[in-house]
Amino acid sequence: MAVYRRSTRHRFLLVLLVLTSITVITVDVRGGGGGAMESVRRAARDAFAPVQSVADDVINPVSDFFGGLFRYGHIKAENSRLRRQLAEARGRADASANNDRELQKLLALQNLNFAGNIPTVAARVVATSPSNFQLTVEIDKGLPAGIQKGMPVVTGAGLVGRVLSVSQERATVLLLTDPSFNVGVRLSGSGDVGVARGNGTRQPLPVDLIDVGSKVAGGEVVVTSGLQGSVFPPDIPVGKVRSTKVQPGSLQRDLTIDPIVDLTRLDFVKVLLWQPKAVLP
Amino acid sequence: MNNTRAKIPLVLLLFLVVELTLLDRLRVFGAGPDAMLLLAVVAGIVGGPRAGALFGFAAGIVLDLFLETPMGLSALVFCLVGYAVGNIQGGVLRAAWWIPILTTFVASVAGELLYALVATVVGQPHLVTIHLLIVATVVGVFNAVAAPVALRLVRWSIETPERAFA
Repeated sequence: MAVYRRSTRHRFLLVLLVLTSITVITVDVRGGGGGAMESVRRAARDAFAPVQSVADDVINPVSDFFGGLFRYGHIKAENSRLRRQLAEARGRADASANNDRELQKLLALQNLNFAGNIPTVAARVVATSPSNFQLTVEIDKGLPAGIQKGMPVVTGAGLVGRVLSVSQERATVLLLTDPSFNVGVRLSGSGDVGVARGNGTRQPLPVDLIDVGSKVAGGEVVVTSGLQGSVFPPDIPVGKVRSTKVQPGSLQRDLTIDPIVDLTRLDFVKVLLWQPKAVLP
Repeated sequence: MNNTRAKIPLVLLLFLVVELTLLDRLRVFGAGPDAMLLLAVVAGIVGGPRAGALFGFAAGIVLDLFLETPMGLSALVFCLVGYAVGNIQGGVLRAAWWIPILTTFVASVAGELLYALVATVVGQPHLVTIHLLIVATVVGVFNAVAAPVALRLVRWSIETPERAFA
C-alpha cells in the first residue's frame, strides 16, 4: 500500500512538471519571442558571459597547446601556404583599389547602395551551439554595439548567417547551413535568381527556383540577390556551385552550392549594421 | 539535509558550465554529447523516478535559456526521460556495472528522438531527418562513456546523511 501511494505521488509530480513545461512552451511560442521569456533568456546569457570568458581563457591555451603538438607539421605547411596566399592577395588588393575607387565614384553618382559601404561591427566567435539541432554560434558583441535581430553576419570571404537574438553581452548567429535558413541568391554568371536553403552541417546547400534553361558553370560564385524586401543586402558571396544537373521532366535545375566561408572554423566575423527596408512579418 | 540542498545546484551548475564551455568543442559527425540529458538519466538511475523527473526538469529549463528552441522544450523531454529511467531502474537493486552504462546509452538515444518529435509538434520542423539518427547515436555513445563519472557526481549530490552513515 505504501509503495502504491508513493508511486502515485511520483506520478503527480511528473504531471505537475509536464504541465509546467507545456505552459512555459506555450507562453514562449505565443509571446513571439518578445515577452517575458526573452528577457529572462537575455539576463541568463549576460550572467553567463563572464563565466564563459574565464573558461575560454583557461581552456583555449591548453587545447591550442595540444592541438599544436599533434598537428605541428600540418600547421607549418598551412603557415607557408597562407604566406603565399597573403602575398598574392596583397598584389591583387593593390590592383583592385583603383577599381574600387572608380566604382565608388560611379555608385555615388547614381545614388546606389553597395554592400561595401555598410558600417560593420567586428566580433569574435566565443562558442558554438550546445544543441545538436541548431547550427548557431555566439559572438561577443551585443546591443551596445548596435547589433539588432536579423542583421547579416559575414567574414571577409562571404556570408556566414544572420543574427537570431541579441543580449547586452552576446548575440546568437544562425549559420547559413541550418535547415531553417533561407537566402535569396543570384548566379554571378547568368544573373538568374533562386533561393538557397541550409541542409545541415558540412552539407551543400540546395538552390531552388533556378530555370532549366539557365547556364551554370561548376565553381561559379553565387551571391545574395538583395531583391526588394530581401533580408540581406545584395552582392554578398554565399557559395560556389558544387553540382548542377537537370532531371528529365523537371521544371527546375538541380543545383547545390558549397558555402564560401568555412563555417566549422569561424573565429572573427563582421556584423553588417543593416536592416531590410521592408518590415518583416 | 542542508548540505544536500547546496550540493544539487552545485552539480547542476557544474554540468551546465561543462556543457556550454567544453562540450561545444566536441563534435563527431556534427553532433556532440548532451550533458544535461545525461544528468536527467543518471539522476533517474541513482535516485528513482522522483529525482529523475526533478533533475530532468531543472537541467532542461536551465539549458533552454541558452537555446533558440522554445523555452521549456528540453525541460519537458528531460523530465519525462528521467522519470522513465527511474521507473525502469527501480526494479534492479544491485545491478552489474554495465547496466547503468547501457541504460544511459538507450535513454540518451530515446531522449534525442523524443526531443526531435516534441520539437516538431511545437512547430520546429527540419529536426526529424536521417541526420537525427546519427545525432542520437553519437549522443548515446558520448553520454554512455561519461556515465560513470556522472553517476558518481549525482550520487554524491543526493545521498542523504542517513544513507551515508548506513
